Amino acid sequence: MDKFIFGRYIPGDSWVHRMDPRSKMLLSFFFIFMIFFANNLLSYGLVFVVLFLAIMMARVSVGFLLKGLKPLLWLMVFTVLIQVFFGAGGEVYWSWWTLQITHDGLISAAFILLRFLAIIMMSTILTLTTKPLQIADGVESLLKPLKVIHFPVETLALMLSLALRFVPTLMDEAQKIMDAQRARGVDFGSGGIKQQVKTVVPLLIPLFMNAFNRAEDIATAMDARGYRDGKNRTKYRELIWQRRDTISSLIFVLSGIILFLIRN
Amino acid sequence: MKTLDLGLNRLSTRKTAVLGVLMALQLILSRFSLSPTPMFRLSFTFVATVLMAIWVGPLWASAASALTDIIGTLMMGTPYFVGFTISAMLGAFIYGVFLYEQKPSVWRIIASQILVALIVNLVLNTLWLTLMYQTPFWALLPARGLKELISTPIQIIIVYIILKNSTVRNLGNRL
Repeated sequence: MDKFIFGRYIPGDSWVHRMDPRSKMLLSFFFIFMIFFANNLLSYGLVFVVLFLAIMMARVSVGFLLKGLKPLLWLMVFTVLIQVFFGAGGEVYWSWWTLQITHDGLISAAFILLRFLAIIMMSTILTLTTKPLQIADGVESLLKPLKVIHFPVETLALMLSLALRFVPTLMDEAQKIMDAQRARGVDFGSGGIKQQVKTVVPLLIPLFMNAFNRAEDIATAMDARGYRDGKNRTKYRELIWQRRDTISSLIFVLSGIILFLIRN
Repeated sequence: MKTLDLGLNRLSTRKTAVLGVLMALQLILSRFSLSPTPMFRLSFTFVATVLMAIWVGPLWASAASALTDIIGTLMMGTPYFVGFTISAMLGAFIYGVFLYEQKPSVWRIIASQILVALIVNLVLNTLWLTLMYQTPFWALLPARGLKELISTPIQIIIVYIILKNSTVRNLGNRL
């Protein structure tokens, strides 16, 4: 659990850092949507031009972007290898039993690799340039249209702020419980599967216990401060849509249109 | 104002706070996994989801799980895809339908875990990976099936131990 980082935000002061979280989120979703439609060399080229632009404007280091690839590495290798060995069509370069490497197979494998890189890197840029609290505000703001169907957006937004506030606290608590159990001789992360599961339950139950107690205290304090429900309240943190958001959106929409024109 | 349209009735402040803290636990537990062998990982997020389902019911649990999924993926830098949010909602919903306001019998736990493993983890999540990265569905399915085959019994046992625990049961009564 030591490797845990809460969010992967890296402080900075670039163009992308100062953008509205809502526009950043919408644009990265739009980018993933764009990739779904890219299907030839030219359109993938355009996708990477946009990605490169975003990397430049965010001023994040390539090392951090590459680290983002790690969790999906096995899926990436697996998918690309299957495309390489089972892809059909075009000139056959090599074949053995059902395995064969063909011209078209190699090309589609290359496209899939590019697709992976683009999707993951754009998501990593969003994470690296936006604080968790900003992301939460953005999500809340983007969910607001759901109020039309009486979806309790305010209550859920409150839960989200509580959750973000309590992640570090509960993390510390988990660490303390682990240390306390270690001091009594529990050996975490060793032995067989049965042994490991057995050590986890004495960790989970006190953790839930503590979390529950904290929630009760918070609820009492909130009631005492005049909380009734999520509705009819004002906001202290407001998001402001700036000119840089409009400009970035225009660039993305424009490249989206171009992509539709140049795809097969 | 009623929120009855969706069946999401108003929560007490206490339930709101508990749900918020459980969301925090979902975020924490999703980062922590047990891996007795290098290729196999078992995360404990499902325990927080099950507790949500038991304490506030299927609808609120699925709304909260959806939100945790969105915020979790955005914060950790993994690519966001709506499908996984749907999976998170459906998982919480299934737990809620089977376990909310019911005595946690062994059969209910087993049935809910198997349904979640089959529908959500096996079929839906594989489908999302296929849609998103064009990984062939039938090539991915056996590997993921094997993983579910090992993890589902372990999950059943863990949920059973936790739900039978008297402290956890008392917490539920305090809500």
